[in-house]
Amino acid sequence: MKRKIIFADFFRTNGVLMGSILIALVGFWLVFLVILPQISMLDYSFRFNLPPAQQGGPRDVYTLSNYQHLLYGSDATHQTYNTIDLMVFLRTIVAAILVTIFDMILCYPLAYFLGQSRGSGFVRLLVVLLIIPYWINEILRAFALRIIFGDAGMINEVLMFLHLTREPIDFIRQDVALYAGLGYAYILLMLFPMYNVIESLDRNQIEAARDMGASWPRIHRRIVIPHAKPGIASGCTMVFMLSAGALAAPQILGGPSSLWFTQLVYQWFNNSLNWQQGAAYAIVLLVSTIIIVLTFMRIFKVSMGDIGK
Amino acid sequence: MGSGVAVNLENVWIKFGDFVAVRDANVSINGGDFFSFLGPSGCGKTTILRAVSGFLSPSQGRVLIGGKDMAGIGPNRRPTALIFQNLALFPLMKVWENITFSMEVKGASAAERRKRADELLDMIALGGQGDKLPSELSGGQKQRVAIARALCASPDVLLLDEPLSALDLKLRQHMRTELRAIQQRVGITFIYITHDQGEALTMSDNVAVMKAGVIDQIGTGRDVYDLPSTAFVASFVGENNMFRGKILRIDGDSAQVDVAGIGPLVGRISPAASAQLDAGDEAMIFIRPEALAPGEGEAGRTLNATVVNEEFEGNAFTVYLDAGGNAEIRMSLANTGQHRIAERGSRMALHFPAGKAVVVPVGELASE
Amino acid sequence: MKSLNLSRLAFALYLLIFFTYLMGPLLVMSLTAFNSPSFPSASPWECFTFEWFSVLWHDNHIREGIYYSVIIGIGTVVLSVSMGLAASIVLTQIWPRFRSAFYTMIIAPILIPGVVIGISTLVFWDRVGRLLGAGEGSALNGFFHNGLFLTILGQSSFIASYAMLVFVARLQRFDPGLTEAALDLGATHTQAFRKILLPFMRPAIASASVLAFLASFENYNTTTFTIVDYKTLTTVLAQKVRLGIDPSISALAFSIITLTVLAALAVEAFRRHSANRLAARLRGGAAGRLLSGFFRGNVPAVLLVLLSMAVIVTAGVAQRYDPTQCKVAVQAAKKAEIQRRIKALQESRKARESAAPATPAPKAPNANSGAFGNVFAPNNLPGAPGASQTAPAQESPSQKPGNGAFGNVFAPGNLSGASDAPDAAPDSPPARPDNGSGFGNVFDPNNLSGVSGGN
Repeated sequence: MKRKIIFADFFRTNGVLMGSILIALVGFWLVFLVILPQISMLDYSFRFNLPPAQQGGPRDVYTLSNYQHLLYGSDATHQTYNTIDLMVFLRTIVAAILVTIFDMILCYPLAYFLGQSRGSGFVRLLVVLLIIPYWINEILRAFALRIIFGDAGMINEVLMFLHLTREPIDFIRQDVALYAGLGYAYILLMLFPMYNVIESLDRNQIEAARDMGASWPRIHRRIVIPHAKPGIASGCTMVFMLSAGALAAPQILGGPSSLWFTQLVYQWFNNSLNWQQGAAYAIVLLVSTIIIVLTFMRIFKVSMGDIGK
Repeated sequence: MGSGVAVNLENVWIKFGDFVAVRDANVSINGGDFFSFLGPSGCGKTTILRAVSGFLSPSQGRVLIGGKDMAGIGPNRRPTALIFQNLALFPLMKVWENITFSMEVKGASAAERRKRADELLDMIALGGQGDKLPSELSGGQKQRVAIARALCASPDVLLLDEPLSALDLKLRQHMRTELRAIQQRVGITFIYITHDQGEALTMSDNVAVMKAGVIDQIGTGRDVYDLPSTAFVASFVGENNMFRGKILRIDGDSAQVDVAGIGPLVGRISPAASAQLDAGDEAMIFIRPEALAPGEGEAGRTLNATVVNEEFEGNAFTVYLDAGGNAEIRMSLANTGQHRIAERGSRMALHFPAGKAVVVPVGELASE
Repeated sequence: MKSLNLSRLAFALYLLIFFTYLMGPLLVMSLTAFNSPSFPSASPWECFTFEWFSVLWHDNHIREGIYYSVIIGIGTVVLSVSMGLAASIVLTQIWPRFRSAFYTMIIAPILIPGVVIGISTLVFWDRVGRLLGAGEGSALNGFFHNGLFLTILGQSSFIASYAMLVFVARLQRFDPGLTEAALDLGATHTQAFRKILLPFMRPAIASASVLAFLASFENYNTTTFTIVDYKTLTTVLAQKVRLGIDPSISALAFSIITLTVLAALAVEAFRRHSANRLAARLRGGAAGRLLSGFFRGNVPAVLLVLLSMAVIVTAGVAQRYDPTQCKVAVQAAKKAEIQRRIKALQESRKARESAAPATPAPKAPNANSGAFGNVFAPNNLPGAPGASQTAPAQESPSQKPGNGAFGNVFAPGNLSGASDAPDAAPDSPPARPDNGSGFGNVFDPNNLSGVSGGN
């Protein structure tokens, strides 16, 4: 039966007191913690960085200069591009996409295995093993990788022991450590959504397909992957957004000469104390990542409602 | 009996946006009655029940309980108790806590509640089971707990929303009798919602048959079964054979209908429809399968058909016949030891007693 | 048949790689917590020691960070769980036409980068403070710039989405008929909420609270902006890790891993236990004696007890264990090695000087791929070399007079190890013996901006 609920019905269902509490909580969250902060950050990004005395004064007008800075740097003539910051931006986006793809490929077989073999103690053990690193601090995980990738770390020791290299490889400077660390940090956010959807796939579908003579690659392409699409999309979205927005891993694992875009934002805020410039960079990061996610969701025909399942 | 409280619906309309769920319902239910709303799913009967219990308010019209207008009174302040389709027993509370929940919210002490719970548990023959969880009970036991929980609130009106639909056939039949017995013992008004005409007919004092938001007929089970007022009621309540034709002649309360391929049949005009029918109108004539019997009868009460198939059902045989045109005829004969009724493909004469055919205006039939 | 075995082998190899990637770093890090060199490394293994736990225990910054992390965590749990629960209830009731828009709005905070959330929270409440006319230094201004307040709000804005997801999953199995039944039986809406919906949601509330607390506890990206002049465990850790690393962080990680494993086992054990009890109840048998019943058929419970016992025993041993002997030996070996190498260096230099005086000095420590050499090689100490290495040595020895494991942090062997570093790595600046606190340098503003600027 069709039931549409409008405000009056909402209060009828929940009572005036409970209804008001619910609306107040949701309203506070959305308005004061999500919408208004984003709007005021947007507003900030269009303003000059003025000393407090001049704020609200005649010089406090809207400007595009913070965005121009990303494109052209401090060069007022706009002749040359701000190649350093733009390269950082590009590198961040491309690397985040690569990290996402890497995690997706790495997780799919395990997600399929866990999702389709239910009940056994071995599988439960694997799941518990997976959950443990999930709850270790992101910084500690990055720290662990730094120990391993260090000049005297495990990997260099092994490589040198095997005489694959004579001198320690500087994984940190080569950004190998950073990419491995980003992939490591968010890998479980890829695995669990995939695992959840694949678990809900009826085994009979796979057996029916095998019965009809489909090869394993075809079964995956035609049955498992279409079914798992919401989970894959969910995992990819989270890994991409979190990698692109990561701060801890780049700070700990990043080489001294290569920056992540969030580190630029961090520097504008905490070192240059130029909040307006930082807000502009943050807006660029937010908008571009959202556009990329929406584009991919459009390409792969995934709806927003699938995210978070 | 008759100590219960009357419920009246006056010109009740219930709309959800553009969708009209209930259209101009007028029902008066006597105090102490067992009253059923019967109709296919989606006909609006549950909506009426929710309007009576206060979970939604009519877009138009009034709901009166004991003569008092219920507008603006929420479900927790109405003298009604609802038994839900899925029973809605609180899964995390023990049986006795479930039963006495209405006392708990009014602040009754645990000892008081426990005592009342034990009384009610004895009444529903579940003495000593109060400390179980609902999940540990069988279907029929849950059913009785739900009834006890509703009765514990001492309602004036008990509303039941298809509470038996989840039970298997045997238990359902048993619970029908039990529900009727409980109703007669406590003497309060029961309003019962069902799509199962068997339930409605066996338990109710009065039945309202609904179709797509409209109440087609209100009457005793016997009236509804024997003298349906519309084609829908005739086809929805029980099995029926329908023939369509033109009225040749009206004679007091009977009409002669000319059915193509069969010839004229004489039937009684449904009292509610007598004003709508005139000679020359298209009409429908309904004959129950059990009203038909083999053999020639009087003119106008006989028809000839070819046997298509025959099914044995234990207590009865059902014979499927073809009378030409599209009319498929079903005849139900009690199993009195006969070996078989007729050869497949053979021609056969059927007759029915006077008053067992009903003529109604052409209307929508209940879909199978 | 053969190809089946081959693909099995491939899959086993894949599993091995996956879990090595996942667990390997944590295992290595755990090992470094027990190795004596002051730079965290698992090899070469020098001396088994508990001293880094002692360093960790006496680190006031970490303690303070944990204290504020817990306060923020509790505040975030309360706020985000209530907002998430309210949003999930509204989501189940909202007009279908608005449902997907509403869902997008309440799921979006998960996808907004934490950095952006941190900044927007900071900027917005700063503006609110100014709008309300809170001048510099006033109480109101202090409130809107209070790091705890801002961090709780910032974190809650997206942790509430996680909580919401947990609640939505549970609410899908809730029968709204139950609430209606309660209302029908005379309960008020508040009573129906408290007695019907809340008990039903209790498991979800528990797991959402744990989730929210952990998410808050480990959050860095948002917190680093909103925390202003407070510190949390993660911001302290990030500072430490960026400015120089030391095995006491490994010790912290190992403690957290142990706690996580214990908690996971406890949860699993109780889950198994209640499942067993339910099964027994359904069979109609008695629930069984409490304790023996708890362990029967409950592997996680047994593991839990064994592991707890292992932790207690280890802690007891740690009080008595003293690796000084080992350290002295390692120290001596190291010294001898360095002596030998310097000698070799001098000899080769002499030889070369006589042969071709212009040749630059070879990179001796690296060329010799020897384990000991690398530890003290200059390029092994990125960030702020020396600072954290010498840190333990600066603590006052009077803190722990006992002769147990924790006392030997200040053992002469260790001290000399630290002072050896400049010998082997003459480029690294000497530690500044300033304000006595172990990590004084870390929070020196010059040092901080220098590092993050060059990062």
